[in-house]
Amino acid sequence: MEKIGRQVRLPLATAMQISLQGIRIRLGRALVTLSGVVLGIAFLMSVITGEFINAAVKQEREVRNQTTLMSTFVTSEVGAVAGKTLSVAVFGALSAPEQALLAGLAAEHATLRAYGYSGTGVTAVPAGRLGEGSALLLVLGDNPAPGIALGGLMAGMVQPVALDARLRTYPDTPPGRLEHFGIQSAEMLAKAREAERQQGFRTRWIVIISLLVTVIGIANALLMSVTERFKEIGTMKCLGALSGFIRRLFLIESAVIGFVGSFVGLLVGLAFPLLAYGVTFGFPAVFSALDGKRLALSALLCLTAGTALSILAAIYPANFAARMVPASALRSNV
Amino acid sequence: MITPAQLEALFDLRDADDSDYVIRAVDVRKIYRTGEVETHALRGATLDIHRGEYLSIMGPSGSGKTTFFNAIGGLSKPTTGKVYIDQVDIAQLDPYELAWLRCRKVGYIFQAFNLIQVMSCLENVTLPMAFAGMSGEDARDKGMEILSLVGLAERALHKPAEMSGGQQQRVAIARALANSPSIILADEPTANLDLHTGEEIIDLFDRLKAELGVTIVTATHDLKMLKKSDRIVWIEDGLIARVSTPDALDIRVEEIH
Repeated sequence: MEKIGRQVRLPLATAMQISLQGIRIRLGRALVTLSGVVLGIAFLMSVITGEFINAAVKQEREVRNQTTLMSTFVTSEVGAVAGKTLSVAVFGALSAPEQALLAGLAAEHATLRAYGYSGTGVTAVPAGRLGEGSALLLVLGDNPAPGIALGGLMAGMVQPVALDARLRTYPDTPPGRLEHFGIQSAEMLAKAREAERQQGFRTRWIVIISLLVTVIGIANALLMSVTERFKEIGTMKCLGALSGFIRRLFLIESAVIGFVGSFVGLLVGLAFPLLAYGVTFGFPAVFSALDGKRLALSALLCLTAGTALSILAAIYPANFAARMVPASALRSNV
Repeated sequence: MITPAQLEALFDLRDADDSDYVIRAVDVRKIYRTGEVETHALRGATLDIHRGEYLSIMGPSGSGKTTFFNAIGGLSKPTTGKVYIDQVDIAQLDPYELAWLRCRKVGYIFQAFNLIQVMSCLENVTLPMAFAGMSGEDARDKGMEILSLVGLAERALHKPAEMSGGQQQRVAIARALANSPSIILADEPTANLDLHTGEEIIDLFDRLKAELGVTIVTATHDLKMLKKSDRIVWIEDGLIARVSTPDALDIRVEEIH
């Protein structure tokens, strides 16, 4: 008598081969499942890409608006800046709008005397001589309490007028007029930030829901596919397939569909916002806003999420198929 | 056509085993429970099947025929009683051993052929070999030899859908033979075929029995098939009502007419 052996686990390659063959032959059904993944992942990717572009474009606009606001202040104080002498005191690091403002003033041929700053078209002078012959003092930078008396800085000015880009504290009372320019109140900033937070929360929620719908869609399609293949699964079991093998067939099938679907989805999800924002803001602005590293990371996220969710969705259908008894192959009415 | 020497190499024609019985069913009972309701599908069926025998099982629907058929084929375990396949009590087997047994000891043939539609004929035949751990060239060569045994070598790369019912059933028989089983279990193998192709299949079974010494168990109502059987088992009401020979059947048929 021959001893009863134990059925061997087949190598993954065999399951892979049979699975891929199944997908190729039932391409129509696979495409339906695939389109679900494509839609879900395309949405995820478009939200991520859209956020990138939006943030970048918005920041650029913000800088431009701030710069315009500040230069309007300057012109309203001194009129046309060409040929005028302006002094600049910089404490700490310059913000993007402040840099743009200085560059703009230099371009309009104002004579810039600066303390704590040097650049093209700017003459660096010591603190005590900053005010000599100047029509306006601009106090810039992110240091809120520089500890320098305004009186010293403004000495010798034609008109003792200072514009401060921050609400700074000084050890003395300013000798002339001190105004603040280009400042958004803390309250307004907080409000904008809160609105942004709310918007982000809402978007994340919609993305999560859409991914859940995708998962349910895949699970549903796979369950249908299992029911359709009742007889085939039973037959395979009659021929000696282990339950684990059947389970693996469906998991592999779903993983492959998930991976391909995610890949197509991320391409669609990248192209769509690029096109939409490109038409609105101009393509050069949008392309310069793209960051290769972040883009690669989000692509990786989409691929991983799509594949993982597809496998997750396949767990129940795959177990359902694996539990099927071999005798179900005998039923001729399914 | 295949030579006897090749056949021998293919199927390792076995000497008479130490046991004459390839399947023994002893007091097999099967109870299905659906909620509170118990259905006694089998109520103590006992049967010994000889090695190399051609046995047909008959019975009206609901008689427990299918349940008995599944039990002796290792497709389901009886509630009580014993089923020995090649002297091994299948109730003792774990899922891995059961799969091994289904893969190598038993070849299944179905009423609706049950070929895997997405695979070619050859792939259908080599699938059980893959489950048995054989693949590549060896499996392909053996698959082609078995296909030529059933006379379909030239259709090896066709898909089942491109073939006639009789041809499909012949592929299914080739698949059942893939791992040289000692038992062929056929569930109404001619029911979906016309008279002529049905006869072809019956002749093929005859040849398998004569040339390979395979034990063939069929559930069938096909008179031609019944006539070729060594024994006919009648199942009624979950019990084996009687075991007769085809000669006795002829008389009964005439009585009916």
